[in-house]
Amino acid sequence: MQQTTGAIPTCRSQAWPALVAKLNSLGLSLPILACLAVLAMAPLFVSDEYTLRLLVISLYFGSLAMTFDFTGGYINAVNFGFAAFVGLGAYAAALVAIHTALGAWAGLLAGALLTGLIGFFTGLLTLPLRGIYVSLMSWFVGMTLMALATAMEGVTRGARGLIVPPIYENATTTAYLYILLGMFLVVYIILRLILRSPVGLAFRAIGQNYDAAQASGVNPTRYKLLNFTISSACAGLFGGFYAHYVGIVTPDVMSMGYTLEVMALSFIGGSGSLLGGVFAAFLLIPLFDSLKRLTEFRLILYGLLLILVMIFYPAGLAGLYQTAIQKINLKRRKS
Amino acid sequence: MDPNTAANLLLTGLLRGGLYALMAVGLALVFGVMNICHFAHGEYYVLGAYAAYFAFVTYGLDPISSIIIASLLSFVAGVITDRLLFAPLRKRSKGDWVINAFLLTAGLSVVLQNVYRQVFGMRYRGITSYWDASVQILGLTVSADRVIAFGIALLAIAAMWIFLQKTRTGRAIRGVSQDEQGALLVGINLSSIHTLTFGLGSMLAGLGGASLLSLSPAYPYGGTKPLIASWFVVTIAGLGNVQGAVIAGFIVGLFESVSYFFLGQGWQEVASLALLILLLLFKPTGLFGTQIKSVWER
Repeated sequence: MQQTTGAIPTCRSQAWPALVAKLNSLGLSLPILACLAVLAMAPLFVSDEYTLRLLVISLYFGSLAMTFDFTGGYINAVNFGFAAFVGLGAYAAALVAIHTALGAWAGLLAGALLTGLIGFFTGLLTLPLRGIYVSLMSWFVGMTLMALATAMEGVTRGARGLIVPPIYENATTTAYLYILLGMFLVVYIILRLILRSPVGLAFRAIGQNYDAAQASGVNPTRYKLLNFTISSACAGLFGGFYAHYVGIVTPDVMSMGYTLEVMALSFIGGSGSLLGGVFAAFLLIPLFDSLKRLTEFRLILYGLLLILVMIFYPAGLAGLYQTAIQKINLKRRKS
Repeated sequence: MDPNTAANLLLTGLLRGGLYALMAVGLALVFGVMNICHFAHGEYYVLGAYAAYFAFVTYGLDPISSIIIASLLSFVAGVITDRLLFAPLRKRSKGDWVINAFLLTAGLSVVLQNVYRQVFGMRYRGITSYWDASVQILGLTVSADRVIAFGIALLAIAAMWIFLQKTRTGRAIRGVSQDEQGALLVGINLSSIHTLTFGLGSMLAGLGGASLLSLSPAYPYGGTKPLIASWFVVTIAGLGNVQGAVIAGFIVGLFESVSYFFLGQGWQEVASLALLILLLLFKPTGLFGTQIKSVWER
């Protein structure tokens, strides 16, 4: 900074670490940026519709796993009604797109806001509750939402589902991929910034030791509420995307199976890592899909993987990555 | 509402409540003793139903022995599950037992449902009735199956009660549920008690599935509804409270039949869940819960 006479190379050599540090603080370390770049360039090399769709679905489930992990991995509260929140966002976006002329983006925003609001009230309900009660309560709220979506035939057309127009006319799969990638990046950076701030520290404190956090002046209730609202809103946002992408919303999107799938991805990826679930999604979803015979056994494999991870390696993929990095660093230091 | 409808609602509610109580007692037992939020309880119900179906239809056994074989099989399945999954988890778990065990049962539930699907297919396997008879109660004709299923449920709950209160092993189970460290100190073998408890819990679920085969056929995803209902009951009673679960089972059964009559299928579910949420709001520990903070609140 104080350099006044520095030649251009030194200037660059200083600007580069500064930029890296800046990106790091946004949660975009170099390996992550590389992965994002590969994903962003994928449509240039892949014209195959099937592969592109696979990428969109992987990124979609990865985004959901990330959002899930923001609650599950940090404040240690497993939202067992997660799919219902996603579905609520999907319904809100669908209804806005069908009944108003505000456009798809307004619908996505409405979905996020409504879901955030419901998440806030669910948080309020779970306030006096702790630990496993939070999971139970969110499960019951999720089931209520699904029952409502099925019962309110006048609004949601019940089990027949709502037909949703595409996000804009003639939107291609590539366009959806870029839109989702943009949404993913924005949400990821916001979540990462929150986690890096004192608020994030409070989240982790609550997750690790509730009583100790309370004793050291953290108001668990307020932070839990904040966390739950944010992750619900994000779930609703991605749900809105899903409604436009798939083109139909039925109460089925709120079913337990989706929650379990997202949960499995998030825990296989490693809880408390945000990106672990995304990597798990890109690893597992194409894998299960490419082995056509495995598709039938997909849920069995998810379940088995979840069981194995829980018993033998609770740190998940993120833990594996961390240990690998540590070993490499140790070796470097030795040599 | 004329007296006939009222009697009908009362009877349906009570008969349904008996099954809920049976399922919930198993769930509460597993919960209270092992601190497992059992999410795969419904899958043992389905296992019992399948076992009873094959024993009754394929092998042509009489109803009572079919039901007994089904519940024994569920017991064995529960024992295997505990040895295979929960015992290693217990050995390795460091502190996060409640949430890890819960997630494990969630995975187990998915695996079992889809294994049933692969093995038995999506077909409904049901029977019209075990006993071809009917009984007159309160001026209404009720099929003998329902009454006998209700009787079996009550009998099983009573037997479980006597077992827990009067026998040495039952006392050991209650001891473990109250204080694991203390139980260990007086020489109780924790791991065998855990295995036995899980087996018994699964047996109660399997018994429920088997005795209700004529009303709800065996089906890969057939465990979801009983699971939700029994969780509902256990939450209302207060987690892990075995006695409360019996009373709450009847409350839920009656509430469901009455709200079904007035609201119809879709809104009945909404009403039940709304009731539960309201209850948790005002009394988070459940109707019969205590104020003592337990493991699952950490």
